[in-house]
Parts: sequence; structure tokens; C-alpha cells
Amino acid sequence: MEEKKSLKYLEHVNGMLRKVVGSHDRLVVYGQNVSAGSRISGFTKDFTVKDTGKIINTTNTENSLVGFGFGMMLGGGKAAFFMKQLDFLFLGIDQLVNTYNIIRNSGHAKGSFTILPVTVDMGYEGPQSSSNNFGDFCSMARIDGYAITNKYDVEKILDAHFGKPGFRIISVSQRMYKDDIIDPGEPILADKDMKFAQYKDGGDATLVSFNFAFPYAWRLGLELEKAGKKPAVFNVSYMTPIDWEPILTSVRRTGKLVVFDDSKSENLSCFSLLAAARGIGLKKDIFIKRKLGDNWLNPVSDAMEIDYEVIVRELML
Amino acid sequence: MNQKEKIAEEIIRLRISQMIVNEEYKAKRLKVSVHLALGHEAIAVAVSETLEKDDNLLPTHRNIAYNLARAGKLRPILDEYLLKPTGLNAGHSGSMNLLNPERNIIYTSSILGNQFPVAVGLAMAGKIAGKKNVTIVMAGDGSIEEGAFYESMLMAQSLRVPVIFLAENNEWSMSTRIDQRRCSIDVSLLAKSLDIRYAYLEGNDPYKYIEALKDLRKFSVESSVPVCVEVKVATLGERRLPSSPEFPEGEFINYHSGPAPEVDLSEWPMIKQSDDDPIFALTKHIEKSVLEEDARRQFTALQKEIA
Repeated sequence: MEEKKSLKYLEHVNGMLRKVVGSHDRLVVYGQNVSAGSRISGFTKDFTVKDTGKIINTTNTENSLVGFGFGMMLGGGKAAFFMKQLDFLFLGIDQLVNTYNIIRNSGHAKGSFTILPVTVDMGYEGPQSSSNNFGDFCSMARIDGYAITNKYDVEKILDAHFGKPGFRIISVSQRMYKDDIIDPGEPILADKDMKFAQYKDGGDATLVSFNFAFPYAWRLGLELEKAGKKPAVFNVSYMTPIDWEPILTSVRRTGKLVVFDDSKSENLSCFSLLAAARGIGLKKDIFIKRKLGDNWLNPVSDAMEIDYEVIVRELML
Repeated sequence: MNQKEKIAEEIIRLRISQMIVNEEYKAKRLKVSVHLALGHEAIAVAVSETLEKDDNLLPTHRNIAYNLARAGKLRPILDEYLLKPTGLNAGHSGSMNLLNPERNIIYTSSILGNQFPVAVGLAMAGKIAGKKNVTIVMAGDGSIEEGAFYESMLMAQSLRVPVIFLAENNEWSMSTRIDQRRCSIDVSLLAKSLDIRYAYLEGNDPYKYIEALKDLRKFSVESSVPVCVEVKVATLGERRLPSSPEFPEGEFINYHSGPAPEVDLSEWPMIKQSDDDPIFALTKHIEKSVLEEDARRQFTALQKEIA
């Protein structure tokens, strides 16, 4: 029997991107090294656009590259800016906030603009390159932002948003590049914009992941199942608070909530869910967040260390 | 009326309109902060005359002269400053981001430098769509200090897109003169270093400005390249503060924003007897009596428009 070849996260992301990039008319794909060298470590490998479009290896001018995309959008064009590193987007914050506010207030921006940065969340970068929460960028101007964490995300988020009218940021996790992509299957529940999805349903605990923390929540779900429990597992792909009601419905049933957020930010969307859930009364809530040690500015791992056995025991009580 | 007189009429209309706005401002009736552009009328009319149907214009926060030129009316602009639903943008924009997409003003930036890359993106969208248009993006001597000015000229030239970078140099950034804040920048050399054609305009001669801008527009569109234009302007409405020990003659304050207290509404709207004032510059081309007659007529018409 032929062994099923595992699919890596980066391969799947790149494969899906190749498909959507090649399907749009008049698409301008741009960024530093998008079609040179490693193609952003394989993120933009083998991209081709239709004859009506263009692929541009750009200058190193991040602020202007963001403004350029908004200009394309204002002119009715389609632009996709691929970035090697989320941190580079700091140079474009003025454009993300002020330019975006002006053009959406005008109501005349009919085109499409998507920024696709790689969130460098492996760690070991030292004092630079330390931003791993693009929710910070999104919250400043209420920007639509989506984190891609699993096979379903890749397909649905890109299909729903890439090249569509308006502006959004869609980010991928460098930490997961070489991992087998998690295939959670079709969700039990998901909104049409893929702001959240529910992949498991059960009455014993509600597990919710934010930012790029889905692998942690998924793993805990499997551990609970091994222990004979049935968890509800949600992933929130969207970067700013959403309507929590579908999750709160599960929380009312289970009375137990575990929230995962792997960001280093103190500006977290999950705080609003926790506040809402605590307001309805919980038997147990566990908040798993990236804890920063004294050495957090040094080159250290960004991975969260989670003792699943302990959490399973706590949830069994 | 011939074309020459029509241009003069426009410059006078822009001046009297701004003076009326100034009076409303002095009376504290405006709801938003306005950056008047007294002294910028000649270049504003020249840019407006240069624009063709599909072109884009991206002014700065000091956009009043451009908006008056493109709208052809005062009432909707004044109403916008009063945040009325009858305003040009129905009270949604105010002054610093005032737009008129139907008349080519597609974006205005109140943040220094944000407009430059937006212009390059607009030009690229036009190129991809096969348009033969130009995007004119305005700057001041303050905003050319921003990195986005250099970045965007670099991008525009690298991508070969038709953008006219037009810097209005009034030598002031808010209350700071160029020589108080930085070394001089030779914009011609900056443009040359990027192999971008450069032109310098001065004297507030609208007819020369129009001719030069139309030539540059043609070159930019036909060659699909950016060009850079620097125009000398004086933002009129300066004044001296009351005498103080530090400034016995009173500190000189260049006009930046808000009302210009020493500028009064007048049927003959000349503020300064020098080429710094576009109204004065017109007297070199058209008899002063003809201009005065036109000014009186427009003064009455504008009063009627806003009544």
C-alpha cells in the first residue's frame, strides 16, 4: 500500500498561492525578491501571473510599497505585496492607518490590495525581528487580518479574500514552514469570511486558539480525546475581536475554557473573549500565553512550552 | 473673453474665494482647520488647466486652491468646512482630506509624504489598465524631506510610470524656515541622480506655467516616466507678533493655517505688490483696470453664491 505523502505547511501555502495568483486578471504581485533567489524562502516560488499582470522585484522602500498598494487599489487595480518579514511592515504603519482611512472614507477605492507578510515566529532573532502579532497592526486601523494556520485556512482564507475588492493582511507563520500542515477537515461551523472556524464539537471543554496558536489547541484536543473527553475546538483566524456568540454558546455548555495565544503582544483580541466568557460564569478557565523571560530580547525560541498532561488533568477535575 | 482673460479670471476667483473663507474663519464659523493657500493661485490654475480627463491629482493638506480650481465653485467647499451635508464631500472629509474624484482629485494627504507612493500606485494601475494618463502629486518643501519623496521617485523611475512630482517651495514648514531646520536640497540634482527630468518655475506667470506643465505632461505620458517640478511660491498672510524683549519688532510669523488676520476681503484682492502675489503678476499681462473690473464682478457673484 502506497504511503500517503505528508504535505508541508509551506508547500501547501505556496501551492494555493500559485493557483490564486495565476487566476486573477491584471494582478500586480510585488515585493523584495518575489521572483529572485529563494523567492522569500519558497513563499513566492514559481509564481506566474496572466499576461495582463506583472511581477515586480521591488526596491527596499517598505513605507512606499504599502502606499503603492493603496494607490493601485484607489486606481481600481489589484495588488498583492509579499513581505519576507512582518517587522518590515512597521515602516508602513503611517500608510496602513492614515492612507487606508482616507481612501476607505472616500468610498472610491474599488480595487484590491492584499499584504502577505511572513510572521517570523520561530524566535532566535534576538532584539530585532521580534514582532509576531500582526493583530497589533490590524487593531490600529481596524484592518481585516487573517492568520493561516491549517489546511482549511489556506484554502478558504485565500479563496475568500485574495484579490477581492478592499484591503486586508493575510499572514503565514514561519515557525510552521517545515511542519506537516494540520488537516482538521471541514469545520462544523465557520463564518463566510473565515474569521473563525470550529473543528471539533464536544461538551467537556472549549478550546480556542488565536494568532498562530492553532497547533497547540489542536494537540490539546487530541490529548483530551485520548483521555476519553470530547472538547470543542475553535480557531480564530481574524486579528481583532469578532462576534463571540458561537464560542460563548459552547462555553455555556462546557463551563470550561482554554484560550491559547502565541503572540508576544500585550494587545490581544482574546482578552475580549475572556472577559465575555468570565462574565457568564466559568467552572474553569485556562489562559495559555507566550511567557517572556528576562532573556526575551536575546535569541531564544518563540515556541510555547505547554504541559498537556497537566492541562488535561485540570480539565478532568 | 479670450483664454488669457479666462485664466486671469480663475486666479482672481480663487483669491476672492479664499478671502471669503478667511472672513468666515475670522468669524469662527468654520468647523475644521483650513490651510489657506493665498499666493498659490497661479500654480493651482496652471495644474488644473493641464489636467486631462483621466488624470489624477493628489494635493496636500493645503489643497484649497486646487479644490476651488477643480470644483469651479465656492459654496460646496465652504459647506464642507462647515461640515454640512451640502459640502463637496457631504461633510465627510473636512478640509485636509477634501476630495473631488469626479474632477480628478482622488486623494489628499494631511500626513507629509503619504501621497507620493499612492501616486506611484495610481500611475501603475493606469499603466496596467492601458490608460494614457498622468498622476500629478503635490509636495511642499517640508514633505520633500520625508523619505517617501525619494522612495517614490525611485520607484516611479524604476517602474517607468507617468507621475509629475510637483513641489511647491514656500521655504517654510509650519513656523520654521528652511535655513532654520536643514541644509539646502538641490532638487534638480536629486532628480538628475535618478535620471528624472526636472523643471523649475517661478514668477507666478500662469501662462508660462501652463505651457511648461503641458509640455512636461506630454513627455511624462508619452515616455511613461516620472518628472519633477519645483515651483517657488509665497504663502501670503504673514504677520508680526506684538513686540517682545526677544523680538522688539515682533516675531515674524509665516502663514501656516487658521485665519490670516491681516488679510481683509476686498474688491481688489491683491495682497502684495510683487511677483510673490499672482494677482500682481497678472498685471504684467492684462491692464489693471480690466482686472479690477473683473474682480468687482466676481466679488459680487461670489457674495451672491454664498448668500
